[in-house]
Amino acid sequence: MRKGVVLALSLAATVVTALIAAPPFGGSITFSQAASMMTRTAVSVSLLFVWIITAIVVTLMSGREIRYSSIELRTSPLHCFALGLVAVTSFVLTAILFSDLIPFLVGIPLLVALSVFAVLTKVFGTIAVFHAFGTIVAGTRSREQMSRRRWLRGDLAMVVIGVLLLGAIRLIPVVGPIVWGIASVFGVGTALATKFGRREPWFLVWRPADV
Amino acid sequence: MKDACQRYAEDPEANAGHLRECTNCREIYGQLDASIDSQPVRVDALPLAPWEGAGYRSWPLVIGGALALLAITLGLCALAGISLPAAIRAGAQLNWRALLDMAGGAVRPLGPIGFAVLFVVVNTLLVVLLRRAPRGIDA
Repeated sequence: MRKGVVLALSLAATVVTALIAAPPFGGSITFSQAASMMTRTAVSVSLLFVWIITAIVVTLMSGREIRYSSIELRTSPLHCFALGLVAVTSFVLTAILFSDLIPFLVGIPLLVALSVFAVLTKVFGTIAVFHAFGTIVAGTRSREQMSRRRWLRGDLAMVVIGVLLLGAIRLIPVVGPIVWGIASVFGVGTALATKFGRREPWFLVWRPADV
Repeated sequence: MKDACQRYAEDPEANAGHLRECTNCREIYGQLDASIDSQPVRVDALPLAPWEGAGYRSWPLVIGGALALLAITLGLCALAGISLPAAIRAGAQLNWRALLDMAGGAVRPLGPIGFAVLFVVVNTLLVVLLRRAPRGIDA
């Protein structure tokens, strides 16, 4: 069943790519247009290579945190998506506010801190999305299946599968950037929902000390 | 529960004769005294936990995948006539200033009070959503 769905998705992606990327019937593309298309693809695949290296390093450093975030994403996808949307909006509004503070000097360090936090959230969350996507597509469902597999198991393998699949989808014109953007929103949401996989509360409840 | 049953429950040794007279109590206390029939846990029947096998590092897949992607990247870069670092630099470039100006222009029609209200509403919503404990492994 799953193989059928993956095959159907691959075929649909191929058809969409062919329809969008191919030159219109009766027309032809110029050499410069073809070169530009090739350069864009090379740039996209280069970034994908950076993503796979980053994902491998982060998963090796904090595999458990990535797994917890991935589990949260698969358990409460709507909450993660809503949180991601609100967080991205909050980042943008806060950045606008901080940019108005640039003449007072305090704006620049605040903007730098905000952008570092936003980039870290996006990178961590996107790697969690890779893990979740890889687990949904290629994850093991039983111990017997897991013991039969030699390569396709473990956090690292799921992340790599997720990067390669989402990266392939990313290359589809029009559809790819939309899917990647939605994945980023999910990622930001799950990174914040689990406090970067640590599952700690963001806010402590105030309680008076017992005398 | 009758009084005699109550007295037996409170002090079984002093009222030991009650068990011979009361059928209900004999059944109940007989079940309590019976040895528990324990069965070994069948691990294979339990659902697979997310952490099982998660620490396994599949190096052939990881190295193979990364090298395949590197080969495709280098091939495409060679076809496009650019170097790999130049392609990465081109992809990573982001004009933050222009994006900020665009976002600022989008919220300018709201005015300072509208922006302040929107800022407070969005961040309050963010705090409310962040207060929910993660479900994840407990679900």
